[in-house]
Amino acid sequence: VASDPYETLAVKRDATQDEIRAAYRKLAKQLHPDLNPGNRQAEEKFKDVSVAYDLLSDPEKRARFDRGEIDASGAERPRERFYRDFHGAGAQDHAYSSSAGFADFMEGDEILSDLFGRRQGGRGQFRMRGPDLHYRLPVEFLEAVNGATKRVSMPDGATLDVSIPAGTRDGQTLRLRGKGGAGLGGAPAGDALIEVEVRPHPFFTRKDDIIEIEVPITLREAILGAKLDVPTATGPVRMTIPKGANTGTRLRLRGKGIPRADGSHGDEYVTFKVVLPDQPDADLEEFVRRWSGSQGHNPRRHLEDAL
Amino acid sequence: MISVQEFCVRARLEHQVVEGWISEGWLIPCREPELGFTDVDLARAALIRELKEDLGVNDEGISVVLHLLDQLHGLRRSMGELLEEVRRGR
Repeated sequence: VASDPYETLAVKRDATQDEIRAAYRKLAKQLHPDLNPGNRQAEEKFKDVSVAYDLLSDPEKRARFDRGEIDASGAERPRERFYRDFHGAGAQDHAYSSSAGFADFMEGDEILSDLFGRRQGGRGQFRMRGPDLHYRLPVEFLEAVNGATKRVSMPDGATLDVSIPAGTRDGQTLRLRGKGGAGLGGAPAGDALIEVEVRPHPFFTRKDDIIEIEVPITLREAILGAKLDVPTATGPVRMTIPKGANTGTRLRLRGKGIPRADGSHGDEYVTFKVVLPDQPDADLEEFVRRWSGSQGHNPRRHLEDAL
Repeated sequence: MISVQEFCVRARLEHQVVEGWISEGWLIPCREPELGFTDVDLARAALIRELKEDLGVNDEGISVVLHLLDQLHGLRRSMGELLEEVRRGR
């Protein structure tokens, strides 16, 4: 079926290999199917040219053809699919799908955007993970210590239930995977990054996994000792004030502090503060006047050098 | 998905050449979960090889040709869809 390869390439029978190569290149540049995506005729011609060039570019085959040993279709190279076959109607998007050739048409034109806009889904430059979104979430002191679930309103109106783990610190950031901005081109969404702001508590303070509380006691409780209920993060605990407790006496309530990651707990420290009655007390005044025990007691000894 | 080894054999290319074409941006294989190619990459590699070896296009020329070709294909496809819409709208 194939015609004479010399005719196909338009070269003379005694053309040099270089001339054959040059002739092929010239034709191939005109006819290559990938350079002529819409031209079936060119494809047919290119096949003929390729077959002819396959034959003539190989001196051995060319010699055999010249000798009549093989015909013009002697070594047809089957070609599977051309690059262009992966484009066009019905073809799937891939990394090389490009809308750059008409992107400027689409600006400000909804009809064209609707029509062409879905082109931006290939494997290449348009695939992008969604951005991380940052939020601040204020929580109460005890919510942070004991753990809680908080409902957060996102800017788009959706709500998000955020689980605050027990023991969360002020300034700690929680990452909610996939709750950030939507991805482009089928890429995953970003994360929501939630910075927790722990509000101060009226009487608890926190340092690492320790909770501190200052508990005022009366003079009587300080001198004679007592049993009293002390608040902790998980509810009141009964504790004993030893006889002779003073302002600054610090006692530990084991395991009543902040939950740690390993399941154990820090401690709560209770610091007493002796508080005299609000009103002047005549009995107390009279007692202290007659009390001789305070004579040798100087609580300001450490200040004496400065006096 | 075609592995890089199989890709080299089927595209008749040295591994290093494939690496080079990837870094030039001529080939854009899948990266996850591992390097993988498709039939599109195979056909594109064949085109690049022919542009270089048979048609004598140099490396700078390859980038230009590929870029223009991909735009041309995008335009052709959109043109085809537009025509289809227009026909249906009649």
